[in-house]
Amino acid sequence: MARSRCASLYIGRYMGQRLLQAAFVLWLASTLVFFALLLTPGDPAQALLAASGATPEEVIERRAQLGLDDPLPLQYTRYLMDLARGDLGYSWLHGRSVRHMILEQLPPTAELAVAATAVGVVLGLGLGVLAAVYRSTWLDAAATTVAVLGLSTPTYWSGLLAILFFSLRLRWLPSVGEGGLRHLVLPSLVLGFALSGSIARMVRSRVAEVMGTPFVLAARARGIPSRRVIFIHVLRAAVGPALAVTALQFGFLLGGAVVTESVFARPGLGRLAVEAIIWQDLPVVRGVALVGALAYVLVNLASDLAQAWLDPRLRALA
Amino acid sequence: MIVWAAPAHRPLLRQPMTLLALAWLGLVALGVLLAPRLAPAGPSIVDPAHVLLPPGQGNPLGTDFLGRDILARLLWGGRWTLRMGALALMAAVGLGLPVGLAAGSLGGRTDAVLMRLVDALLAFPGLLLALAAVAILGTGLTAVAMAVGLAAAPPYARVVRSIALEVRGQPYVEAARAVGCSPWRIAVRHILPNALPSLIAFAATQLGWILLNGAALNFLGLGVPPGTPEWGLMLADGRGYLRDAPWASVFPGLALTLTVLAANLAGDGLQEALQP
Amino acid sequence: MTKRSYAILFLSLVSLLVSQSGCGAPAAGGRLVYGLTLSPSGIDPHINASSELGIPLTSVYDTLVYYDPATQNFVPGLAKRWEVSDGALVYTFYLRQDVTFHDDTPFNAEAVRFNLERITSPDLASQKARFMLGPYERTEVVDEYTARIYLSEPFAPLLDALSQVYLGMASPAAVEKWGDEYQLHQVGTGPFTFAEYVPGDRLLLRRNPDYDWGPSLYEHDAAQVDEIEFRFFTDPATRSPALETGEADVMGEIPPQDAARLETNDDFRVEAVAPPGVPLMFLLNTTRAPLDDISVRQALLYATDRSAIASAVFHDTSPAAYGPLTAGTLGYDPAVQGYYAHDPARAAALLEEAGWTDSDGDGLRDREGEPLMLDLYLMGWGYMPEVGQLLAAQWMELGIGVNSQIVSYPEALEVGGEGRHHLMPFSLSSSDPDLLRKFFHSQATFNWAKVNDPELDAWLEEAARASDHTQRAVLYSSVQQRVMEQALIIPIRDYVNLNGVSNHVEGLRFDGRGWFPWLIDVTVKAQ
Repeated sequence: MARSRCASLYIGRYMGQRLLQAAFVLWLASTLVFFALLLTPGDPAQALLAASGATPEEVIERRAQLGLDDPLPLQYTRYLMDLARGDLGYSWLHGRSVRHMILEQLPPTAELAVAATAVGVVLGLGLGVLAAVYRSTWLDAAATTVAVLGLSTPTYWSGLLAILFFSLRLRWLPSVGEGGLRHLVLPSLVLGFALSGSIARMVRSRVAEVMGTPFVLAARARGIPSRRVIFIHVLRAAVGPALAVTALQFGFLLGGAVVTESVFARPGLGRLAVEAIIWQDLPVVRGVALVGALAYVLVNLASDLAQAWLDPRLRALA
Repeated sequence: MIVWAAPAHRPLLRQPMTLLALAWLGLVALGVLLAPRLAPAGPSIVDPAHVLLPPGQGNPLGTDFLGRDILARLLWGGRWTLRMGALALMAAVGLGLPVGLAAGSLGGRTDAVLMRLVDALLAFPGLLLALAAVAILGTGLTAVAMAVGLAAAPPYARVVRSIALEVRGQPYVEAARAVGCSPWRIAVRHILPNALPSLIAFAATQLGWILLNGAALNFLGLGVPPGTPEWGLMLADGRGYLRDAPWASVFPGLALTLTVLAANLAGDGLQEALQP
Repeated sequence: MTKRSYAILFLSLVSLLVSQSGCGAPAAGGRLVYGLTLSPSGIDPHINASSELGIPLTSVYDTLVYYDPATQNFVPGLAKRWEVSDGALVYTFYLRQDVTFHDDTPFNAEAVRFNLERITSPDLASQKARFMLGPYERTEVVDEYTARIYLSEPFAPLLDALSQVYLGMASPAAVEKWGDEYQLHQVGTGPFTFAEYVPGDRLLLRRNPDYDWGPSLYEHDAAQVDEIEFRFFTDPATRSPALETGEADVMGEIPPQDAARLETNDDFRVEAVAPPGVPLMFLLNTTRAPLDDISVRQALLYATDRSAIASAVFHDTSPAAYGPLTAGTLGYDPAVQGYYAHDPARAAALLEEAGWTDSDGDGLRDREGEPLMLDLYLMGWGYMPEVGQLLAAQWMELGIGVNSQIVSYPEALEVGGEGRHHLMPFSLSSSDPDLLRKFFHSQATFNWAKVNDPELDAWLEEAARASDHTQRAVLYSSVQQRVMEQALIIPIRDYVNLNGVSNHVEGLRFDGRGWFPWLIDVTVKAQ
């Protein structure tokens, strides 16, 4: 499929624009993170040392050591410069490099995110298409309700129910921990189910739109069997928006993972973040927030670019 | 049978699921209003001698881990849950609507800057955003509502913007601009009224998200004061007893899930009903 | 062969067979999965403060001395014997000479010096170990196996500190080799080696085959199981299920209601261990009205029904607490049990005398137009919210109103420091009663009762310096009685760690701290 130079230039410019925007968003996000966390009440140094019997002088000393008393512009500049070098600092609570800590938690988080996304997309697509194609019938009502049910159930509840039923009662699956496909089944099902709702909703509305287009009508007039029309033409229209919603929901995965990780005793960034927030381990909170923001921006960038590439209007230019 | 048509306006009366959902919401509202009549003793009567009783005489839905009647707590708790939801929704709309409207109606530089700000906020997982907000604002109902509202505002702004953009492209709006109406005037007098139905529908679905995340904050122990009969908190409290006294968490869980479900379905249904 | 030889041969064969059959006798070897409850990603005992890290690491490191809870005395560990001299300012330790680290480097006085210097160096930013050493000045290497510690003031808790994992002896070579990442590659001298650590996921310990220098407190010379895997279960509701499905063999901190169920299950048992320290107690801010009036404080105590709390919230797995120390702590004075039995009538009388009556019939007492409302700040852990609710309900019956809110730990420290609260609960574990100084000394960080009593200060300071057991006991007794007389706290319950154990695990014993198991003695029956 040859592309005209016009299309390539357009794509190039579009890419450049999006990259610049992404960079700006990242800078904004990191600045927000920096300032927001400074507003939390309480003194992190004291929180670290109080129970160990440190004297007030020692707490003050530790504050200075952590750079908490430096003037704000200095702290901010240092923060930005460190970020540019990829240095996320050292955890106040654990003394380890934040980057290492985050990198350690990335594989299990990514594992769960990918598995949950797969479940969510498959379920969401299926339910959404079903609901749209058989619109206004009981099938629509049933599929929509199931999809929205996923959106409506708190994961810490559905997760525990799943454990008690599948793990304890039926003994089919391990309840907790990490270490292989079997351990991934329950958490990804629970999280994926929650995710499928928004995907199904978007798919349903898009597919419903497509169903009435002249394009589809023409295909049917040509005698192509319904099933083929649906699978090939209608689905293709649905995949784009489904992926777009998935990309948008990626942030939800990291956040929803917080609860899922806790319930299923899985390691991951969510748990790291909550512990850091509770203990005001600011470097770690910043690190996780930034990594999350980075991942979100990258995923959305990729999805935007993919959509641009696949955009039939661009194809037409070729 | 397969429906080969574009989505059309489907009046509410022909949407059984949406009607059911609205009926449930109405029931919840009724229960919440009538709480003082139905459960005059209030939600906080602690009775250590009768903890975790199963549903039965005197306690239609059983008692919780401190011996409090669960039905009473659900009825009174609806006030807290809905109050938090309403506050948070107001915050989300109050923050998101002007931003999205300005971005969609005014376009250009304003749009670019505002949307980058929204993107920056969207980049953070909603729950973490709410957690951070709670860390700053403290705990308690208002703080939690503000925090969750803040986390819900960016998606709302985005949707408002896209709707505003759509409406802006309509011929009559173009005409208004040609005539020389100021962009703000157009925004408020033309775009907003036309976008309102869709905005309301989306707000209904946002309510579901807000209720769930508010409950999640309570689960993490960073929400309303302990003892508040808020449904999410009741669910979190009862969760530890799921094996011995499932009613302590099943009923609040059902209340929460069904209400969120109803809000979502109603929102979707309204969308279809308001389709031109 | 003669008949006699046949007999001997036969008997030998039989005894050989019997000893090998293992009928009922636990086999050496095997594997154990131990459930921990927090997920600390920082587990360097010299740096970090959580008690969770001590559970695995107590078996990776040895300490100079060990605490024997039975005799309440210290026994030799890595130090064969020691001398205290010069007004309790100098401690000389004579070390064992047969000890090697897991990396085959020798343990000696230089290693001791290295460890203590590491702990006290500002660069390490130690959160606990450093402060446990108190007025530590320096360590001198007298000769290869003699180390001398110098203090600037007498410090009674020093031996107790040196008996804890936070002051365990690490290999200087390994520390220097791994630097910041030492946490992931810890090397001690203990009965288990630190095999693998994946933060947030699991920690693996393996039997140290060379170990034979354990203290007399250990029942075995070497570790009995081959491998122990630690996993982290932060969600309390999932702990018992994990135990019941066999995914864990031992599980700490099981919620009370699940413990009751486990006890009825033949395959499991619950081992309850009560760590010493300060019980769950509510500190009363004596500088803020109306709690500046001792009658009101005492009324609160009389209005509190501790046994109702113990049964409703803790399902009778925890004993009620009556004073500022738990019943198992060194220096606990049982006389505190005589104070403030549940007596609502007396509480009401005290309040009336103090001028608090319900003049407007709204159920809440008031005085000069001010309602009796108390600000309670709670943290979200340790059952504080549940107890807070029950207390508020109990007090409401006497017309005392409570305004409660949840705060994070750092914020609680701020609130407590500024004295914005009326009531704030806390609990902390420690084996040395010097812990009381952190709460009731006028300059203490946790002095949330805002007490300023020179006599109390003097007793606490003196007890920290005195090395004579009896003398300390007398002093701490005075402290406990003064705290209760002045109604500075409302004690609720002694913390009890409910450990769920699968019945094919035997030999699980906990040290004097209540938290840390001596894993060397654990055996796993072949199934």
